[in-house]
Amino acid sequence: MAISRRSFLKGSGLAAASTLVAPALLRHPFIGQAFADTIGDRYFLSIFLDGGNDGFNTVIPVDNGGATMRAAYDAARSTGTDGLNIAPSALAATLIGVDPGSGCQLAFHPALAPLKTLYDAGKVAVVQGCGYSRPTLSHEASRMAWETGTPPGLNSGTGWMGRYLAANYGGSDIPGVCIRGEVAGELRQNATSVLAARRMRSLRFPYDGDFGDDVARKRAAFLGLYESASTAALPIAEYLGTSGVATLLATESYAGLHDLYTSGRPGPNQAYEDLNLNLARNLREAAKVIYGITQGVPNVHARVMQCATGGYDTHSDQGAANADGRHYELLNELAASLSLFYADCNDMGVADKLVVMVWSEFGRRVEQNDGGTDHGTQYPVFILGGGVTGGVYGRHPNINESALSDDGNTVYSQAAADPFRSTDMRDVYGTILKHWLGMPHQQILDDVLTLDGGDPAERWTQENFDMGFLV
Amino acid sequence: MGNANSLLTESETRHLMRRAGFGATPKELAKLMKKGLTRGQLVDALLKYKPKTLKAHRDMDEVYDRWLELMLKTKTPLLEKLTLFWHDHFATANSTVGDAEQMARQNTLLRQMGKGNFREFLRRINKDPAMMDFLDTVRNRKRTPNENYARELLELFTVGVEDETGAPNYEQDDIVQLARAFTGWRLDDKGLATFREGSHDYNEEYPERGPKIIFKTRGGFGPGGIDLATPGEGPFEIDYAIEAILAHRDSQGQSTVGRRITRRLFEFFASADPSTALVDELLASSGFASTWDLANLVKTILVHDAFYATAVPPPYTAGTKRSVKWPVDYVVSTLRLLGVKPKKRKYAGLAVEDSDSLRAHLDDMGQRLFDPPSVFGWDWEGAWISSATLLARFRFARDLAAARVKGKQGFHPEKLMPMGVQSADDVLNGASNLLGLADQLTPEDRALYLDYLTDGGSSPTLDLENEDVRARKLHGLFALLMQSPAYQLH
Repeated sequence: MAISRRSFLKGSGLAAASTLVAPALLRHPFIGQAFADTIGDRYFLSIFLDGGNDGFNTVIPVDNGGATMRAAYDAARSTGTDGLNIAPSALAATLIGVDPGSGCQLAFHPALAPLKTLYDAGKVAVVQGCGYSRPTLSHEASRMAWETGTPPGLNSGTGWMGRYLAANYGGSDIPGVCIRGEVAGELRQNATSVLAARRMRSLRFPYDGDFGDDVARKRAAFLGLYESASTAALPIAEYLGTSGVATLLATESYAGLHDLYTSGRPGPNQAYEDLNLNLARNLREAAKVIYGITQGVPNVHARVMQCATGGYDTHSDQGAANADGRHYELLNELAASLSLFYADCNDMGVADKLVVMVWSEFGRRVEQNDGGTDHGTQYPVFILGGGVTGGVYGRHPNINESALSDDGNTVYSQAAADPFRSTDMRDVYGTILKHWLGMPHQQILDDVLTLDGGDPAERWTQENFDMGFLV
Repeated sequence: MGNANSLLTESETRHLMRRAGFGATPKELAKLMKKGLTRGQLVDALLKYKPKTLKAHRDMDEVYDRWLELMLKTKTPLLEKLTLFWHDHFATANSTVGDAEQMARQNTLLRQMGKGNFREFLRRINKDPAMMDFLDTVRNRKRTPNENYARELLELFTVGVEDETGAPNYEQDDIVQLARAFTGWRLDDKGLATFREGSHDYNEEYPERGPKIIFKTRGGFGPGGIDLATPGEGPFEIDYAIEAILAHRDSQGQSTVGRRITRRLFEFFASADPSTALVDELLASSGFASTWDLANLVKTILVHDAFYATAVPPPYTAGTKRSVKWPVDYVVSTLRLLGVKPKKRKYAGLAVEDSDSLRAHLDDMGQRLFDPPSVFGWDWEGAWISSATLLARFRFARDLAAARVKGKQGFHPEKLMPMGVQSADDVLNGASNLLGLADQLTPEDRALYLDYLTDGGSSPTLDLENEDVRARKLHGLFALLMQSPAYQLH
C-alpha cells in the first residue's frame, strides 16, 4: 500500500501522527479550496465509545425468531439484583427491525429512545455483528485494530480514514479535525493536516497579552521559522514545520468559530448547554466547524471529524434498564447528544450531507459476571445521518452457549451460509468510503483496506463494500 | 571517527548533556570544557550515580510532583533520563493500578535497575507489585490462565513481535504456555509478590495442556523448545522464563533481546531507525548480549559517533538526525536552563486553569507521568506533535517568558546575561546560548530573530535596562526561541 510517505514516522512502530502542509500553498485559498472539494459538500463524523460497548444490551433480541435468540439471551443475562436482563415488556417502545439472520425481533435499549425516533425516520442503520478475525480482548490492541482497519499484529500505524485523507488531500489543506487533545488513531497519516483541539476556542495562539503591538512582528518571525523548517530535507523537521504553520493558521481561522456559532446559533448553543452531557459538548464543537463551513469562513474545510466519549468498560454495576444504571446513563448520553446534534445539523441544512459512525473497540461477553460484563467480540455499529438508508444490517451473533468460544465469546465468521455470519469492520469502512466519500472500489483495496489471506470462512477474504446502508 | 578516547568539543558536550541529562547552562558547560574531558570520561561521570529512591506517598499527584522535583533539582540527570526510558519501556498506568505507593515503589525499582543487569531487572519486574496488578498477574488463575503479562513480556518488554528482518519472534502458543508459568503469583498483606502453590498451574493437574514448553518454532532452540519446568515446577518457572527469553535467537541467529534493547536505547538517546548494522555494532562492542550490563550498553551508545550525529548544526539535510523532545524533557530542561525556581513547588505565572502545577502543562502536551496511555508506553517522535500539543508547548513558553514577577520567583534574564545597551546580535547570541541553541540556528533563522528584535531593522540596538524594551523584546525573544522548531528537537 502506498501509504507510508515518510519513513521517519515508522520507527519501531512507535510513531505515527497527523499532518501537514506545503506552506507556500496555504496562502492561496483557491488551492486549498480545490483540495477541500474532494469530499464534496459532505461531512463524516466518527464517534468512539471508549471501553467496549455492551452490544447485547444495546440491540436486544425480543423474541426467538426462527432460532433461540431470546432464550439464549435469557440464559446469559439474569434477572433480579445485579441482573442485566431487559424484559421484552420494557422494550415495547423501542422496537426496531428484525434480525436478517435469525428473524428475531430486535429492540434498542430503552435509553436509546431518542435514536428510535431517528430510526423510524429512516436515518439510522444498525449494523450488527461487527468485528474482525482472531479478535483480541485488549482494549489497546483492539482499538488499534479498529482504528487502523487491520487485524492485531498487522498494525500499519496509519488510520483507515487517514489513508483515505492521504490519498485524496495534498499538504495544503486541513481536511480533518479531532475534538480531543490528540489526533485520533483512525485519522492518523502524514500527508495532510489533521487538527486536534478539545475546544475550538482553545485554538488560539498564545501571544504575550501585555504587548499586543508586538504580535505582528512575533507572528512574522514564528511563521518564518516554521516555514523554513517545513522545507527542510530532514523529515521530522519538515513535519514539525508544516505542523507549526498549519497550527498558526488554524488559530487564525478556527478560534473564531466559537464566537461565530454562539452568536449565530444561540438557541442550539443553549440546548447543548442545557443537556449538560460530555458527548453533547463535544458534538457542539463539531457543529461549530460545520456552521463555519456553511458560513464560508476562510480556511475552514475540515469535513472529517472525530470525537470520543468514555466509560463503556462496564465490568461492574452495569445496570439493566434502570435509569440510574451505568449503561443506561451512557446510552442516554449517546442518544440524547446525537439526537440534538442531528437536529442542529438539520436546522443548518446539512443533515442530508452528514454521516455519523458510532463504534467501540469491542463488544462485551454475552454471559454477565456479577453485575457487569467482561470484554467481548462482535457488537453493532450505528451509522446515522440524512444520507443513510436506515434499517437493520448484518446478523446478530450466535449467543447460544454451545456456539461460544472457549473464552465465552461469540465467534467471528465469514461463512456465507452462516445465519449468524459476522460483519467485518472493513466492509463497514469500505461501504462508507465507496458510497459516501466516493472512493473507487479498487482504490479502496489498493490504498486503504487489505484483504486477509487464509480460510474464507474465518477470514475477511472477500470484500462487500455495498452493504446497503449508503447508496 | 571518534571513540571513548576522543576529546569532547563544546558542541558535543552540550549535546551529551542535553540527551543524557536536561541540558547544561553556559556556566556548567564552561566548567566541563575547562576539564578537557573525553567522551568516555564524561559518560563515566554521568553514569557514576547512586540511585535515590522516590519516596512513596498515597497521593498520586504528590508522587508525580516528587519525581518532577527530583528531575528539576538532580545532579545525576542520567539517572532520571534512564528512569524515564524504563517508565516508558515497562509502561504501567496508575489509572489502572490505582495505588500511588506501588507506583512509587516501581519507580524506585526502575531507578535501582536502570543501569544494572537486565536479567535481574526482568526478574524483578516479573514480581513488581504495580506491574503484577497492571497486567493481571494477580488475576492469572490456573483454571483460565490470563495471558496479559505473558503477552506484553514478549511483545514489549523483551523480544518484540518481529525481529530486524520482520520475521515473527513467537507464536500464540508461546504466550499460552508462558501465562501458565505466571499462575500462582499474588500479593501478600504487605503488598509484596508471593507464590501460592495452590494457585499454580502444575502439569499433572492439567495434562490436556501438555508440558509448559515455549519457543518450539522460534528462538533457535529446535523443535524441542524450552521447558519452563526444567528447574522444577513452581516458583522457579518465571525466573527460568527470563533465561529462555534472553537465550532467544532471531531468524538471523542474533540475540533477539540484545538487538531490541540496543535499538530502543539508541532511539531514546539519539534518533529513530538506526540501521541493523549499527545496532549490531553497538551490541557487539558492548557485550550486552552476554553480560546484560546496561551501564556498558548505555556508555557504548553515548560515546559512539552515531550518537553525536544528532548534534550536527543545521541546515538539516536528509542525513541529519534529530529527535522530538519528550514533553517532560521540554519542561524540565527549560526550567533548569533558565534557572526558574518554584516556591513550594509552584511556579509563578505558570498556573493553568484548575491547576497550579507543571502537571497540567504536561497533560496538555500529551504526557502524564505514571499514566502512559497504555502498556505500549508513549508514542515518540512525530506522535508528540499535533496542533493541540504544539499549542500547549507554545503556551508554556509564553507563560514562562512572561513570568515577570518581582523577587526570586519567575523568569529573570537580567540575572543570566548582560544587560545595558546591546546590539541585537549580542542579545540573540546571549539568549540562544542560554537555551542551548547557540549552534542550532541557521542564517535564515538568525535573520528572522534579528528582524523581530530590531523591529525590521529600525532599532539595531536594545537598551535592556529599559524595562519596557526588556519585557517586550527580550522576554518576547525567549518565548519565540522556546516556541521555535529547533527547540522542539534535540
